[in-house]
Amino acid sequence: MAEDLNWAIGGEAGDGIDSTGKIFAQALSRAGRHVFTSKDFASRIRGGYTAYKIRTAVDDVQSVVDRLDILVALTQRTIDENLDELHEGSAIIYDGERSWEAEIPDEMTAVDVPLKSLAEDAGGAIMRNVVALGAACEITGFDVEYLDESLEKRFGGKGSKIVENNKQAARLGQEYVQENYDLDHLGYDLETTDEDYVLLNGNEAIGMGAIAAGCRFYAGYPITPATSIMEYLTGRIEDYGGHVVQAEDELSAINMALGAARGGARSMTATSGAGIDLMTETFGLVATSETPLVIADVQRSGPSTGMPTKQEQGDLNMALYGGHGEVPRFVVAPTSITECFWKTIEAFNLAEKYQTPVFLVSDLAMSVTEQTFPPEAFDMDEVEIDRGKLVDEDEVDEWLDAQGRFRAHAVTDDGVSPRAIPGATDGAHMSTGLEHDELGRRTEDEDERVQQVDKRNRKVETAKEQESWEYREFGNSDADNLVISWGSNEGALVEALDYLEEDDIDVRVLSVPYIFPRPDLSDEIEAADETIVVECNATGQFADVIEHDVLTRVKRINKYTGVRFKADELAEEITQKLTEEVPA
Amino acid sequence: MSSDVRFTDFKSDKQPTWCPGCGDFGTMNGMMKALANTGNDPDNTFVVAGIGCSGKIGTYMHSYALHGVHGRALPVGTGVKMARPDIEVMVAGGDGDGYSIGAGHFVHAVRRNVDMTYVVMDNRIYGLTKGQASPTSRSDFETSTTPEGPKQPPVNPLALALASGASFIAQSFASDALRHQEIVQEAIEHDGFGFVNVFSPCVTFNDVDTYDYFRDTLVDLEEEGHDPTDYEAAKEVILDGEKEFQGVMYKEENSVPYHEQHGVTENMSEIPDGAPDDAMDLVREFY
Repeated sequence: MAEDLNWAIGGEAGDGIDSTGKIFAQALSRAGRHVFTSKDFASRIRGGYTAYKIRTAVDDVQSVVDRLDILVALTQRTIDENLDELHEGSAIIYDGERSWEAEIPDEMTAVDVPLKSLAEDAGGAIMRNVVALGAACEITGFDVEYLDESLEKRFGGKGSKIVENNKQAARLGQEYVQENYDLDHLGYDLETTDEDYVLLNGNEAIGMGAIAAGCRFYAGYPITPATSIMEYLTGRIEDYGGHVVQAEDELSAINMALGAARGGARSMTATSGAGIDLMTETFGLVATSETPLVIADVQRSGPSTGMPTKQEQGDLNMALYGGHGEVPRFVVAPTSITECFWKTIEAFNLAEKYQTPVFLVSDLAMSVTEQTFPPEAFDMDEVEIDRGKLVDEDEVDEWLDAQGRFRAHAVTDDGVSPRAIPGATDGAHMSTGLEHDELGRRTEDEDERVQQVDKRNRKVETAKEQESWEYREFGNSDADNLVISWGSNEGALVEALDYLEEDDIDVRVLSVPYIFPRPDLSDEIEAADETIVVECNATGQFADVIEHDVLTRVKRINKYTGVRFKADELAEEITQKLTEEVPA
Repeated sequence: MSSDVRFTDFKSDKQPTWCPGCGDFGTMNGMMKALANTGNDPDNTFVVAGIGCSGKIGTYMHSYALHGVHGRALPVGTGVKMARPDIEVMVAGGDGDGYSIGAGHFVHAVRRNVDMTYVVMDNRIYGLTKGQASPTSRSDFETSTTPEGPKQPPVNPLALALASGASFIAQSFASDALRHQEIVQEAIEHDGFGFVNVFSPCVTFNDVDTYDYFRDTLVDLEEEGHDPTDYEAAKEVILDGEKEFQGVMYKEENSVPYHEQHGVTENMSEIPDGAPDDAMDLVREFY
C-alpha cells in the first residue's frame, strides 16, 4: 500500500468544520492526490461533536481506516472521541491559548499553535481554522500554495480582500510551526501529480446524473441525508428548463413527481427513512398507472427516527416489498460514487422503458463521502437516453380500438404498453390506481384483472431478459472464499483485500448494484467454500434474499453501529468469519 | 386546439354509477361545458381526481386523466402543470378528499397559486363509504359515526382558501347549471389557482343539505352587486356564518401563477437524445 495520510479536523457543529475540511480536501485533489472523506456529525445545528476526516494517497483510496495521523482539535472532545484511532506518531494541532487545557497523550506530537491570535493578525479570528490548515501543511510538507485555489473557490464570492486574508492566515500557521517546532514533516513526503481530479459526493453524483439523464422535475421534502440532492438540483436544473418544488410533505412530493411524469417529463423524488414510509402509499399507484418515476432512498439509521445522521442499509426490504398489494418495480443500488451517477441515468431509462417505479437506493455513507475521480469517470458523451414506447401522434393511431379510444394499458407480449402524453392527438386516456382494462377504466372482471396483473409483472420478466443485471468483481476470481456486498461497502471491501492478502487470505468479492432484479449468484456461491454477505444492518436483509435465491445458508457480517465499515476492520471480521461454523 | 370542440367531446362512453339525482352529474356537465367554452379540447386537458364519488369523474370524462390516491389530487395536478404549462389542468375532488385527508395539500396548492382549476363537489357527507360525517358536515348532523352530530364546527373551505392567500375563490350550486358553468369558466380563465366549492347534494345520505335547501337559501352574489376584487367585501361574505352564497367571492386582479413566478415556460417533456451539450461543465464544477 502506498503511503497515505489520515487527517481530521473536529470541534463543535457550527465551528466551520465542514468547510475547513472541504478546503483541504480540494487542495489535495488539486495537487493530484486521491482523497476520500468522511463525516461524523450530530443531528443538531450548533454544538455537539462534529468531525471531517480525510484520507489521501497518490493511489486510489476508497475507504476510511482506523488510523488518524494528523488531528486538528478545536475541543477536548475531539481528542477523546478519536483516541482509539490516534497512534504514537500522530500529531495533534490545538490552540494552547484557548480556555481549555488540551490533554494530549505523551507519546503523541503536540503542536500548540495560537490559532486565534494568528487569525486575528491575518484579519479576523474567524480564520483560525485556515491557520490550522497552514500548520497542517507544514507538518506534512504539503505545499501551502495548493490551499490558495481552494480558498479562492470558497471565498472568491466575498471579495479579493477576504481571499488574501485567508491566504495570509494559512501562511502564518505554516510559519509558526516552522519557527517553533523541528518536526521534519514527521517523515511525510506528500507527493503531488499532474492529474486533474474532481471531488464530489454520492448525492452530488445522483443530482448530476439526473440532469444528464434529462430529469426536468424534482419534488422533495427536506430530510437528512437526502436533502443535498434537492439542493444540488435547485439552482442547476433551471438552466435546463426544469424546476424543483419543495413540497409540503413527502406524500405531496411523490404525487407531484408522478404528475410531472404523467405530463411527460423525466421526473424524480428523493427521501430517506421516515419519508419513504410516507411515500409508500403512492408506490402502487405509480405501478398501476404505469408511470415512469425514479424514487431515491438515501438510507439512514432506523427504525422510526432512529439515528438521522448515521449510516445504515436497513431499507432494502422496504424498497423490495413496500406498498400494499404486489407492486412490480426495479430496485437499483449504486455501489460507488461514480455508480451513483451512472445508475441514476440507468434508473431513468428503466423507468421509461418499462413505465414503472424505479427505486434508487443509496446510503448515508455514500451521500456525505467526497471522493476524487478523473473527470472522464463522468463522461457525458457516454450518456444514453431511452424513452421507451413514448408514442407520437402518428404512432397513437396504431393503438386505438375500434371506437378510436387509445389503449394506454394495452396487453402486450413484453408487458409494456404504448405511452401517450398530453397534447398527443387522440391519445387522451385515463389511468388509475383501480384495477382497469386496456383503456384504463375500472374493472373487476376476473380475466381482465389477471391480464393486467400478468402484464405488469411481465415487464419485470422482459427486463430480466433484455437488460444486464450484473455484479462487479474484485479480488481473486478463483478464490474459495466469496464475499458479497451491496451499496457503499464496496470501497472498504476492495481495500480490505490488500490487508487480507498480507495474511495470505484469498477472497473473491462480488459487489451487487441490482437488488431487483438481481444477478443469479447460484454458480458463484456453489463454487465457493465459504460465502459471507456484508451489509450495514442488523438482520442481513440482502443475505436473506440471497439465501432465498440459492437455497443455501450464508455467513453474515452486519454492522449497525451507525458508522460505515472501515477497510482494516472489515479485513479482521472476514478473517474471523472464515473460521466460524455456518449457521444451521 | 380546435375551434369546433363541443362539450360532449369531453364525455366518455362510460355511464356514471352515481346515484340517480346526484349533484355530481350537474357539477360534471358544467365542468365539461366550461372546458369547451374556454377553447380546450380533450387532448390538451388533464383532469386529476382523488378518491370517493367525486373521484369517479375521470372515468366519465374524456381527456388525459389520472385517478389517484385519496386526498393527493392537488399535488398530482401541480406536477402536471409544472411539467406542462401548455396543458389545461383541472382537479376534481370531494369535501372528504379535499378538506380532510387532503387539507394540507389544499393550503399549499392555494398559496403556491398553481395555474389550475380545483372543483370540489361538496355534499357535506361521506357518500361512497355510506354516510359518515365529513369535514363540512354541520355540527349537529347525525350520521352512523356521529349519532349525536360531530359536535365540532364544519370547515369553512372558502375561509381556509382566503387565509392561505387564494387568488380566486368561488362557490356554485350543481343544480343552477348556467351559473355553475359560468363560475367554473371564470375559474379556468383565471391566471392562477381557481378554486370553486360546488354544493353537490347527496340524495342518498344527506337529507339536510338538499336541493330544496339550497334553492331556498342560496344568495347569488352577482345579484347582490358584490365586487369580487374587493378583498374586504370578500372577507365579509366568506366569513358570514348565516347565509349560503354562490358566485365569485374573491378574485385577485394581478395574480401571477406559480410557474410564471418561477420562470417555468418550457414544455418539460422534450429532452435531448443524450446529456445536454454543455453537461461536462457540471463535472468541471467539482475541480
